[in-house]
Amino acid sequence: MDWDDAAIARELDKLAPQEDDIADVFAERLTEISIPWRDGSPGDPRIRREAGTAARRRARGAERLAFVSGAGEEAARAAVRTLLGEKPARSGRPVAAGTPETGAAEASRWVRRLPALLARHAPRHRLRLRILHAERHVVAARRPPADFARRLVSVEGIVVAASRLGDEDRLFSFHAPDAGQVADELRTALVEAAAPRARPVPAVPGAIDVLLARGCAAVLFHEILAHTLEADAERSPLSDAGDAPLTVTDLDVRDDPRRLDLFGGYERDDEGTAPRAVKLIQSGRLGSRLADRSTGGRSGSTGHGRRAAASEPPQPRSANIVVTAGSASSEELVRRLGNGLWVDEIHAGSVEPSSGVFRLAFQRARRVSRGRLAEEIGAGYLYGEMRAALRGIEPVLGREVHACRTLGWCARDGRVLPVQGEAPDVLVRGLSMRPSR
Amino acid sequence: MTFEGLRRALERRAPGRWELYRKTSHSRERDTCRGISRIAERSEEGWAARWWEGNTEEPAAALRFAAASSAEMLAAAIEDAARLPAGGDPVPDLPARGRKSPAPEAPAPIEDPPDLGPALSAAISAASAGTSSLATLAIRVGVAHERIANANGLDVSQALTAADGVASAIATNTRETGKGKGSSAAARAAFRFDPARPDVERLARRLADASLLPLSGRAAPFRTGQWLLEPAVAAAVLAAVAPAFCGGRGPSWLSRETAASPGVRIVDDAGAEAAWDGEGVATRRMLLVESGEVVARLYDLRSGKAAGRPSTGHGARPSFREPPRCEPRRIFFEGSSPAAAETLLSSVRRGLVARALTAPVRVDLPADRYEAEFTGVSVIGGREQGPVAGARASGRISELLRRIEGIGSDLQFFPMPFLAGSGTLLVERAAFD
Repeated sequence: MDWDDAAIARELDKLAPQEDDIADVFAERLTEISIPWRDGSPGDPRIRREAGTAARRRARGAERLAFVSGAGEEAARAAVRTLLGEKPARSGRPVAAGTPETGAAEASRWVRRLPALLARHAPRHRLRLRILHAERHVVAARRPPADFARRLVSVEGIVVAASRLGDEDRLFSFHAPDAGQVADELRTALVEAAAPRARPVPAVPGAIDVLLARGCAAVLFHEILAHTLEADAERSPLSDAGDAPLTVTDLDVRDDPRRLDLFGGYERDDEGTAPRAVKLIQSGRLGSRLADRSTGGRSGSTGHGRRAAASEPPQPRSANIVVTAGSASSEELVRRLGNGLWVDEIHAGSVEPSSGVFRLAFQRARRVSRGRLAEEIGAGYLYGEMRAALRGIEPVLGREVHACRTLGWCARDGRVLPVQGEAPDVLVRGLSMRPSR
Repeated sequence: MTFEGLRRALERRAPGRWELYRKTSHSRERDTCRGISRIAERSEEGWAARWWEGNTEEPAAALRFAAASSAEMLAAAIEDAARLPAGGDPVPDLPARGRKSPAPEAPAPIEDPPDLGPALSAAISAASAGTSSLATLAIRVGVAHERIANANGLDVSQALTAADGVASAIATNTRETGKGKGSSAAARAAFRFDPARPDVERLARRLADASLLPLSGRAAPFRTGQWLLEPAVAAAVLAAVAPAFCGGRGPSWLSRETAASPGVRIVDDAGAEAAWDGEGVATRRMLLVESGEVVARLYDLRSGKAAGRPSTGHGARPSFREPPRCEPRRIFFEGSSPAAAETLLSSVRRGLVARALTAPVRVDLPADRYEAEFTGVSVIGGREQGPVAGARASGRISELLRRIEGIGSDLQFFPMPFLAGSGTLLVERAAFD
């Protein structure tokens, strides 16, 4: 963004006279294109172009934030003036945006490619393609300015799978940064979603051992570790864990925003800090917290200060869960499970940090009987308590790590951010299961 | 670029088939969370356009939608959207109205929201005997100006005000009972308030109950019984079922002659909130269920066109970022002879009172199924017996509506996110587990 950063920074320096004070200006320009597709035909496309700027001052436990529409230098100055309690520009009317960037041209590649992919691999569907391009700029007192941009692709909706037993609607979601081999990954996901399967039997409620396969253990760790270790999270059963062993020593889980191949990755967080990987579980013991500038204390921000929008303040939030691989093959883990459930896709998760109770929703799973994959199980929930679940993890992890492309958007307090993760197969004993009705 | 300039651009692109929307808003939010206090002041501008491009002789055309945070950006977004593939969509009959000069736009000055934190904190503590405490509180006051114009000559403006918030409380078990010493439970509540007379006590009771009752560890003592739903729970059930009343065709179970109990009315009336919906259609009271029978449905312009009906003023537009969609705007249960909540409680012979939900209500409208997880108390002979940490009521939605035997006079509204309201609701029989 074409600002006089030095001039803005000088104004911010006045707002943050103490070393611990924070004053910054954050601007975002985003373009979102969204096109529904139904059985190969496009529906009503939508395009959204937004620009917004927020100035923030934080000192002695109090924070003030001023947001205006627009992302030009005029908007930045108007936000700072509002923060200072001065009359905003144009008698309180929002300030216009700067030069808009092109958007539809960026989407044209996907608009050409997706219908061909769908026609070949999943011809019956009700899906929505969403392409989000965001450019962000941060100027802060006593810190260098930062610019960064991200482009994300999501395909979500229903794939109709035909089989001898009749058509079946299957939830489909795929989230990835728009780079590299993403189209190939999407093709693989569509082929799997549309593959014929046997008719499922209803899930039976009760305690069960579960093998979380194909990366979906990342959802479990996102819920029970990432959310509870966000520095401003409420107290949880992990708060008093100290240095006590919580789980098997083979388990290493970290949150790594630097993984730009995952949906939650970024080069700079929304306070302009270069992120670093944070160990959440190391050798079975609880690791560090995810912090932003406000909550980082002496050790500083870990680069997890994220904003759901320019109008929202930054919060310490998780980005990408990364679980280190073990040495077992998938077959070995199924044998080791013995009797239980094999789950390869979790489409929603939630946690209540104060009680430690979490819940993971699945659409389909496979029962495992005597170490072999058996019948298909219909939709249900896995739930449990976070410390018990960590204790129930077996010391043998899968040797292949898979990105969990179904994990894409995370909401906390109504603020939605891109997240993702990758994990090997993880065997957890003693969860509870309940069918969805 | 101005509003007029965009009108001309849209008319050139889609003669007689466009709609233009602008919203300017100004709000202040007070956020208190674990010792940090934040004031956020926001001035936002939003623009949106929707147009049907194609042969004007054809009944269907390519529908496109663009939204932006300035007029200039919207003009560029319209150009970009025109290059995206689009399917054919029946062109609705856009509402007409004589031209009217728009209302003045200067936003009214807004003060910082009241600091309800200390009062709410004290009230929660009192309502829970010190076991539960306020964890977070965010309250917001705001004013917005909307202007809606279309190719049929409509040009209306309105001012909207909002005062709402979200609060959460955490209860910790300090005794060796229920789930065990040191166990905690949290609860969150979204609310609206009157800045002149905020009802802190009622909100505090809601948060205290929702956070405290799950700690008891007690399961539901009955598998079936009467079910008394407090207003927040009943409103959440209604909000979950409400999509069944939207658009041209509802689920088959709703078309029966006795879709609900004879004493129940379901009404949508957003007249107190706004004069127009998000498409510029005048707001009106819609009686949806009367004497147990569905007597009307809700339509926006597009769903109305598909069903061959006029819009009922239910083109909801919660944000400029999304096109209008058919949705209730202020839906509520209305009893033909509402009773006091205490009277309803005393009439429970054996059953459960649902004080707060512990998970969102889940419904499968085509399959006529619902599932509600809640915390509350058990009641025998009209007297509360003890807490129930968690119970689940599930069954057919149609049976739930037919079994409503009483509606309380304590009507309250909750943002869900559209407004849904109810008094205390008594259901004659429900299955629990």
